[in-house]
Amino acid sequence: MIGQRVLRVEDKRFLRGEGRYVADIALPFMREAYVLRSPQPHARIVSFDASAALALEGVDAVYTAADLPASLTPIPCRIPTHGDMTPFLQYPLARDVVRFVGEPIAVIVASSRALAEDAAELVAIEFEPLPVVADAKAALDPATPKMYPPGNIATQWGFDLGKVDDAFAQADIVVEKSFSIQRHSAMPLETRGLIASYDKARSYLEVWGPTKVPHTNRAMLARMLGMRDGDIRFAEPDVGGSFGARGEFYPEDIFIPYFAIKLGKPIRWIEDRQEHFASINHSRECTFQVKASATKDGRITAFDVVLVADLGAYIRTHGDVVPSHAAASFPGPYAIRNYRVAATAALSNKTPSGTLRAPGMFEANFAREQIVDMLAEKLGMDRAEIRRRNLIKPDEMPWYVGTQSVNRPTLFDSGDFPGLFEESVSRFGWSTPLPKGEGPVRRGRGIVALVEPSGFGPFESARIEIDPAGFATIFTGASNQGQGHETMLPQVAAEVLGIAHDRFRVRHGDTAMIPYGGGSYASRTAVMGANAVHRAALAVKAKALAAAAQMLQAKEDELALDDGKVIVAANPSRFVTLAHIARVLTPGNAELVPAPKDFIKDDHDGLTGEVFLRAIPSGTAVFSVHMADIALDTGTGELKVERYCVSGDVGRAINPMIVEGQLVGGVVQGIGGALLEELAYDEDGNLQTGSFADYLLPSSHEVPRIEALVVEKAKSISNDLGVKGCGEIGISGVAAVLANAIAHALGTGARPTKLPLTTERLLDLVEPGS
Amino acid sequence: MKPAPFDYEAPTTVADALKLLGSHEDARPIAGGQSLVPMLAFRLARPSLLVDLNRIPSLSGIEEKGGVLRIGAMTRQAKVLASDVVKRHAPLLVQALENVGHPPTRARGTIGGSCAHADPAAELPSAMIALDATMVIAGSGGERRVRADDFFIGAFETALQPGEILVALELSKQQGVSAFLEVSARKGDFGIVTVAARVAVKDGRCIDAALVLGGIAERSVRCAEAERILKEQGATPKAIDAVLAALPLDAVTMDSRSASAAHRRRLIPELCRRAIEAALASQVTP
Repeated sequence: MIGQRVLRVEDKRFLRGEGRYVADIALPFMREAYVLRSPQPHARIVSFDASAALALEGVDAVYTAADLPASLTPIPCRIPTHGDMTPFLQYPLARDVVRFVGEPIAVIVASSRALAEDAAELVAIEFEPLPVVADAKAALDPATPKMYPPGNIATQWGFDLGKVDDAFAQADIVVEKSFSIQRHSAMPLETRGLIASYDKARSYLEVWGPTKVPHTNRAMLARMLGMRDGDIRFAEPDVGGSFGARGEFYPEDIFIPYFAIKLGKPIRWIEDRQEHFASINHSRECTFQVKASATKDGRITAFDVVLVADLGAYIRTHGDVVPSHAAASFPGPYAIRNYRVAATAALSNKTPSGTLRAPGMFEANFAREQIVDMLAEKLGMDRAEIRRRNLIKPDEMPWYVGTQSVNRPTLFDSGDFPGLFEESVSRFGWSTPLPKGEGPVRRGRGIVALVEPSGFGPFESARIEIDPAGFATIFTGASNQGQGHETMLPQVAAEVLGIAHDRFRVRHGDTAMIPYGGGSYASRTAVMGANAVHRAALAVKAKALAAAAQMLQAKEDELALDDGKVIVAANPSRFVTLAHIARVLTPGNAELVPAPKDFIKDDHDGLTGEVFLRAIPSGTAVFSVHMADIALDTGTGELKVERYCVSGDVGRAINPMIVEGQLVGGVVQGIGGALLEELAYDEDGNLQTGSFADYLLPSSHEVPRIEALVVEKAKSISNDLGVKGCGEIGISGVAAVLANAIAHALGTGARPTKLPLTTERLLDLVEPGS
Repeated sequence: MKPAPFDYEAPTTVADALKLLGSHEDARPIAGGQSLVPMLAFRLARPSLLVDLNRIPSLSGIEEKGGVLRIGAMTRQAKVLASDVVKRHAPLLVQALENVGHPPTRARGTIGGSCAHADPAAELPSAMIALDATMVIAGSGGERRVRADDFFIGAFETALQPGEILVALELSKQQGVSAFLEVSARKGDFGIVTVAARVAVKDGRCIDAALVLGGIAERSVRCAEAERILKEQGATPKAIDAVLAALPLDAVTMDSRSASAAHRRRLIPELCRRAIEAALASQVTP
């Protein structure tokens, strides 16, 4: 089963419109919530009057910070950071000052969402505007008024490895350039949403809608409300995408459940798209100043980087993890020992930042891979050749970059980087000539190499139960936002147990069914979730063989699993089915465990297996190569991506079709980030992007056919299955490779250094100075 | 993103629709809803009454009669795009529609709705002006006809008075060959700059020409001077150079984050040249 292109079992319900998302759930006596958000980027709340709103029939309540427990703490940062972030944390509802457009101020609860929105128009709030910190540049200017007593800089840190200054002094060539990556974020087609319902008499709070890390967030909610973990159930319905942005502990995650308790009725809150733009964690916004040196034979000798990230108005659950990853992983797949980085996380009056697929890496690759091309150009060297000469070699693995991010060493456990590189280059036909451009069209080709971490996160769990009819249920601690877990995890268990794939169900994301779960992020489910399922299946198998040995009067080593049966290998007509074994192992069954005469004793515990796996902090590294051909219309600045090839060494592809889907989907999303998407603010801190009419996602017209080359060259040496995560390599190199292809097309030394690559910016590159 | 409260009526005749529109202050007709529904959801439009025109059969249809093509205002854009008679009679309209939205929006969006909405970056107003279309308007006092160039007044502003409905568009048979080009962020988006070009050449002489720019100002801009040069000098390479030098670049007032005025200005001559050349090279014969 492992390695087969099994069709995704979950697609049937999604394609038929039978998925059950949080907005499809309704409870008796349920009320709808609307979150009243700040229209001001930075202001003091002088007065708040909701009397007219409360007078509207059907409005239950207008809650503000004053209605939350006085002892409530701000939302804690749950990831290790560089220094103390407590001064910059956000309260779930603004108390006296708002610091970004979209910050929650009040929650209106009414009989319908439309009525709640009518009521919102009747709330009178008087603001006293405060000076706005528009961006990181302003934040770094000592003359800018302070948002917080400590200032507008959350933290600064860095690394200084090897002998960077000596390398520059001795270098044959040095290049230098600045790059900026725009603020954008995840746009799951299903927005966020929650339904909270509280059974006061039994003290049981149920919340539908949480995803990504339900167990972690349940613990945070319990701590903040002074409740017991066991008194709260988080349940993940079908989820329409996450891309990293859906698992923060958001303000709504505390106040919607709390107000459901307070009101004594279930409350449903469904984020609409307009508020999504202002309230989902933003990401990516940063600048890199990069200096690099090389010898004349193309050996890169040093990188010197100044990284400034704009994290927005507050530090939230993900702290400074995005620039932290970028700083730690900047050298990429190259054997570079002289590396210096000075990183700053600045604050501004914009929506707080968190993770987006390939956090920090999409950004770092955009800067580093252009610098590598600049070195090649200066040396007159082929751009594939310079990469070839600098890739970390298999015999140098494991490779420790020398940096850390969130207390994890940046370590590449295994990899055959040159092997995949050569296969990718030859498959693409790197050296074949580009077709000539017609008229004003100029063609260009780009290449980038990158390495993505995968499989982070402390642990994962899996439980497999075989029922007395021979059907199997997998309970996984991984959560599912559409990635294909319901297909892929059974493939792993089926491989071990010899049960047909379609006899499995997968249950996930429900804390009432699953005692401990790590969740899904950092391309971790194949690495941690699938390995946990694999070991749980092995535990079931061991149990089945032990029982079968007694039932068949055979030795365990004479037995084998085959198509839902345990057979005597030498005589397959002697067998018992797994269903039969499951019946025998049912608690209370007298077979194998006869009833005791005089004292209770341990009983059967079903044909089940349960496993908790502890992860390696540094995860497992995935190498990837992106190549693209573009056509640039030098008369209009219009760009067409004509060909795109992405490759990845995933160690082992559990379902190659799903892996390819991850790669292709990642590239599509990356094309959006490279060419179109931007959460734009004006200089006064007002968000300019309020709908998909101005936040542009890529459509089928902007996306070429994408070739995905999935190889299994270097198995991970740190897990049983040898798998590496595939969720982020697809997006990680897109901006970088398109920029390199554009620079190649221009052939003038001009480079796209600012994302997104609009027609205007591209035409500026064609006509410098215009 | 829920609309403010409104009343809703769905009349089946134009007379009833006009009566309803006249009976309410802030009543507003709704056609395909591709622009108005989002505006309602954002509460940018707050009509007291929505008069749904979708159930009035007489407002839909394409009919050629006596050399005049009449397209009912409620005719779906997809229908117009797929119509052979439109392709023969007014190919520029088809060329423009190919740049309007996507199959799902065109399946619902109407030809008249887009014109009455008058988004300054929309394609159809430019096409109507370049085709010298006549806009047929019904009001309580009966029907009146307005030339397209006089119909479009400003951003989201037309010659339609409160209580009136755009009922049809009338097009004479298109004179000459045409092309519609635009630069937009994505295929199907409103244009950063759009160009509708129509050139009628007879016996080596240019007998008629239209060059209309969209996306650059409050409404589409007719390039009168450029048209005059084409008509006087013919569509020769030298004349085209003169045309490009005579474009109304000063008319560009649109200046936004997605495209600066300077970017729009530098796109105009390039797109105009391409549009005129594409029109002349097109195989569509008048």
